Amino acid sequence: MSVLTVDQVSIGFGGVVALDDVTLEIPPAEIRGIIGPNGAGKTTLLNVICGINRPDRGDVRLDGASLIGLKPSRIAAKGLGRTFQTARLFRGLTVLENMMVGLHLETRSGLFGAAFSSRAMRAEERELAERARRSLEFVGFAHLAELPGAALSFGQSRIVEIARTLIHEPKVVLLDEPAVGLSLNRSAELDRLLRRIRDERGVTLVMIEHVIRLVMEVSDRVTVLSYGRNIAEGRPADIRENPEVITAYLGRALDARRAAS
Amino acid sequence: MAWLTRRNVLLAGLGLMAVLPGFANPYALFVANLLLIYVILAIGLNLLVGYAGQLAFANAAMFGIGAYTTGLLQVNLGFGYWQALPCGALLAMLIGSAMAYPALRLSGLYLALATLAFAQFTQWVFLNWETVTYGAGGFKVPEVSFAWLGVPSHIGIYYLTLVHAAALFLIAWGIVRSPIGRAFVAIRDGEVAAESLGIDLLRYKALAFAMSGFYAGAAGGLYCAALNFVAPEGYDLFQMVLHKAMVVVGGLGSVVGSVLGATLLVLLLELLRGFKSSQEIVYGALLLAFVIFLPEGVISLVKRRLAGWEEPMRRHAASAEPPPSAAAEATEETGRP
Repeated sequence: MSVLTVDQVSIGFGGVVALDDVTLEIPPAEIRGIIGPNGAGKTTLLNVICGINRPDRGDVRLDGASLIGLKPSRIAAKGLGRTFQTARLFRGLTVLENMMVGLHLETRSGLFGAAFSSRAMRAEERELAERARRSLEFVGFAHLAELPGAALSFGQSRIVEIARTLIHEPKVVLLDEPAVGLSLNRSAELDRLLRRIRDERGVTLVMIEHVIRLVMEVSDRVTVLSYGRNIAEGRPADIRENPEVITAYLGRALDARRAAS
Repeated sequence: MAWLTRRNVLLAGLGLMAVLPGFANPYALFVANLLLIYVILAIGLNLLVGYAGQLAFANAAMFGIGAYTTGLLQVNLGFGYWQALPCGALLAMLIGSAMAYPALRLSGLYLALATLAFAQFTQWVFLNWETVTYGAGGFKVPEVSFAWLGVPSHIGIYYLTLVHAAALFLIAWGIVRSPIGRAFVAIRDGEVAAESLGIDLLRYKALAFAMSGFYAGAAGGLYCAALNFVAPEGYDLFQMVLHKAMVVVGGLGSVVGSVLGATLLVLLLELLRGFKSSQEIVYGALLLAFVIFLPEGVISLVKRRLAGWEEPMRRHAASAEPPPSAAAEATEETGRP
């Protein structure tokens, strides 16, 4: 049984077909890499899954329930998290508060509790802060808790953003190019973190990525998109050898590298 | 100066305001009343603009809707003040929350223009729907009687405003430190990311607009009773600039900053009373100067100089202090194996 299903999804923007009959079945606790050249429809696929774009045809299901037509905030409540190409920390909140926004769906205190700073609200806030702190420890960033979001570096923001998505214990997290712009050290750290998320938390990760090394290293399976179509799917080793993929995506660059090595 | 904490200063201010009617002349008391009304307006506007990040220009219109509703219900329909005042605040709140719908589609400059158009429309209604609003000349509102408390009307209204200002300050202070305030700031700093974490944009924008509308509407109802008179020019674009200037001078994204901003500008308004024509220029220049030289407002200076003024969160995005990150990250990257 797959946790996330993309069922024959098609979407076009003003005559340009962005996704053409794309189907994905992603089982629980898998890391799925999605690769493809620029304009292949990778980001559109993420946007369709998380509800920013509505597909013209097809269905997206999380644990068997359709997500089509739901607002992104409702889809998030059903257990789908995502991160962005350029990490989007809330600049005016501290890192800890950023993490607490990740727990937004679990806050129970309402308007009156807030307006009158009720005891229940303050107790809940302490509890959320404690959980946020533990989640920061999970990624080794507890020491950054009190810094404003704006003060973090690119790489740090990225990791905090992933942690912020995880804190609400989603079933599936979509990662939009998590390794882009990271230093080698940070990138290796990210590898380890993604595996730990899968193994320790049982979360399914769907990652679109340009950094082929990361995709091939950590993905359980890889899907290749080209011109909005799903042209190949399989274990990283098989994808690497798939001639259609090599011509469509890796192209001459890889041939050249092979020739050199 | 360790005793100059936020709590002490605010309590001293409240204490001063509470005993003021004992020695101030009626004019000074009226100015103090005006100051409290502007404190309410500035806090309400700051919730919407400084915290939730919605660049709306309808605050003066909401102020007017509160004042007109409170006044007209008394004059035209024979309501008592105590019924009319909540009606004015609630109507402004309702109209305010309806603005969340356009705000879902529009942001930044476009939202500013849409709300500005709405503000001009309310001006037009105040001016031209003469059978109901009495047009450009405005109308007189009966004095609110406080005979049952044994105090003259102007003192009764002053204390009513003081109680409102204190209560609305505390409510705003509670809201911004709660999950709701956090959701507001999240929407301000990144709508798409906020939504991806489960924050319902419509709901929180509607809440921000509704709160800000309620604050402005209540301020309008109190203003109506302080002046015993309502006329369109009290709620025009100049008013809007004034509210905005208070929020910017005080500090976007700071409730206490709004109190400081409103206080400073009302006092300045008094100093310039003799030069009526120069007021608008001075406010415009002040707004410009603050946006350029002190975008974090007066509150940022206070925070830097004095202990006990830190706000747990809600630094405005533009204000993010120079990040120590570059250096920190550099050492971290190289320092780690």
